[in-house]
Amino acid sequence: MLVRFTPYAMVLPIVLCILAFTYWPILVSFDLSFRHWDFMSSDKPFVGLSNYSELVRSDEFWNSVTITLIFTAISVPLRLALAIAIARYLTTESKTVRALRGAFFLPAVTSSVAIAVIWSWIFSTDAGVANALLNNLGIAKVPWLQTPSLALWVIIIVNTWKQLGYDIVIYVAGLQAIPEDLYEAAKMDGGKRWHTFRRVTFPLVMPTTYFLLIVSVIESFQIFTIVDVMTQGGPAMSTDMMVNMLYRTGFTLFDVGKGSALAVLLFVFLVVLTVLKSRILGKRVHYEH
Amino acid sequence: MNTSGGVVLRSTAVAVGLLFLSPLLYGIWISFQTANRFFSGNGEMTLQNYVDAVEKMNFLRYLFNSLIVSGGVTILSLATSIMAAYAFSRFEFRGRDLIFGLVVATLMIPGHITLIPNYLNFARVGLLDTYAGLILPAVANGFATFFLRQYFRGIPRSLDEAAWMDGANAWKVLYRVIIPMSKPAIYAMGLFIFLGEWNSYVWPLIATDSPDMLTLQIGLARLYKMDAQEGLVNWPLVMAAATLTMLPVLLGFALVERHLVRGISMGAIK
Repeated sequence: MLVRFTPYAMVLPIVLCILAFTYWPILVSFDLSFRHWDFMSSDKPFVGLSNYSELVRSDEFWNSVTITLIFTAISVPLRLALAIAIARYLTTESKTVRALRGAFFLPAVTSSVAIAVIWSWIFSTDAGVANALLNNLGIAKVPWLQTPSLALWVIIIVNTWKQLGYDIVIYVAGLQAIPEDLYEAAKMDGGKRWHTFRRVTFPLVMPTTYFLLIVSVIESFQIFTIVDVMTQGGPAMSTDMMVNMLYRTGFTLFDVGKGSALAVLLFVFLVVLTVLKSRILGKRVHYEH
Repeated sequence: MNTSGGVVLRSTAVAVGLLFLSPLLYGIWISFQTANRFFSGNGEMTLQNYVDAVEKMNFLRYLFNSLIVSGGVTILSLATSIMAAYAFSRFEFRGRDLIFGLVVATLMIPGHITLIPNYLNFARVGLLDTYAGLILPAVANGFATFFLRQYFRGIPRSLDEAAWMDGANAWKVLYRVIIPMSKPAIYAMGLFIFLGEWNSYVWPLIATDSPDMLTLQIGLARLYKMDAQEGLVNWPLVMAAATLTMLPVLLGFALVERHLVRGISMGAIK
């Protein structure tokens, strides 16, 4: 008799946690997005879609959407191109190669805050290494993080440096799954390296590329920490990503309704991308095995 | 490959690896410099920045908080995931697939959607600025549950059955058979959870306020941001704080890199 309830008792703690801290909050977010509230006042009047319409009519919103899109459109292809270029040389299983893969991977598991702080120093105007190197070439000091047209590039560089190792590791796994005899065949045909890459390697790692493409787009849309530490969205909003705007709207300006509406919009978009990812993953299986 | 080729390969690899990690290594190097040496180029190496970070900047407390929070999350995540994974892998019960689906689906839910409601709920029950408030939202771990369920499925059922024959109940089978058989997977997963939580930023940023409750990540971000606003950053001190913040990862990385990499690849293939 007791045995019948045992499995329920075993799943109960995790079920309570996901209901309390994930599913219930999602519903609350949708609800709050239709209300006006400042965290303080006792009533939260229902205002229909007005948070959404305010959002889509504000420059602030479109600025953060645009910045996030530019960031994603540049950093994702950059990451994937660098990762596949490097991963090609790291597919063997010698000690040296494994250590080098580890070196590339280290930033991916290192604190984003620490990384952001270190790179802030490198790109700092007076004390930074970047300007010291330029100085050697006779170029005047550049205020990297204080210049709207440059700050986003710095964010892209830092984020790419941090995430590259993850992409490399996934590409290495994809490349290792390609049967050796296909390369042999390409060699027999007198294939040049670039030719082999384009005709054999690249098509065969396509599933990995699709996977990484979607994962890194999803991830890029959620970038927050590096920006929050390095620029807080500035200068002049030039690095203001969607989650940074969400944080500011909800937790600095206490506009709960608008913050929730922003969260809901980003959520819906990312869930669509995630469903897309699952589809592609389903297709990917027969390449792997 | 001949020996000289091997040497060339190895030294190229070392050079590339060092170059790639040079920002990190240079940052750590700066943390041992006196402010005088850093700004003027002469002076001594010192441990004073670490002493200052710990004594004046409360970093020992932050380190302690991070250990409590990451440790708490790791233990509770493992406990809830192990129990659930065992139930999912060994029992037929009504609603099993739905419940499993709901747990695994949390993997795909972007975290930002829960921030405002969780903040409100924790404020209502007075759990902001407490360890419980930092730990609880991170306990449910869909990836750990999924991963351990797969692993448990690979353990031959004949082992459970032998224990059942001896009169053990489900909890005893879990404790005496499944957990001992899965130690490597559980350790790897625990490590994975610990490092992830160690680096966690957004929720601790929102859920803490008083100086004694900050985690390392938040303490470091505050230290740097406050300096940066004033326009003068004590870089050696900030780098010492950053090094402290990265410490467990740097120490543990060599030890567990292979587990991590395998875990990541599995995460991608799942």
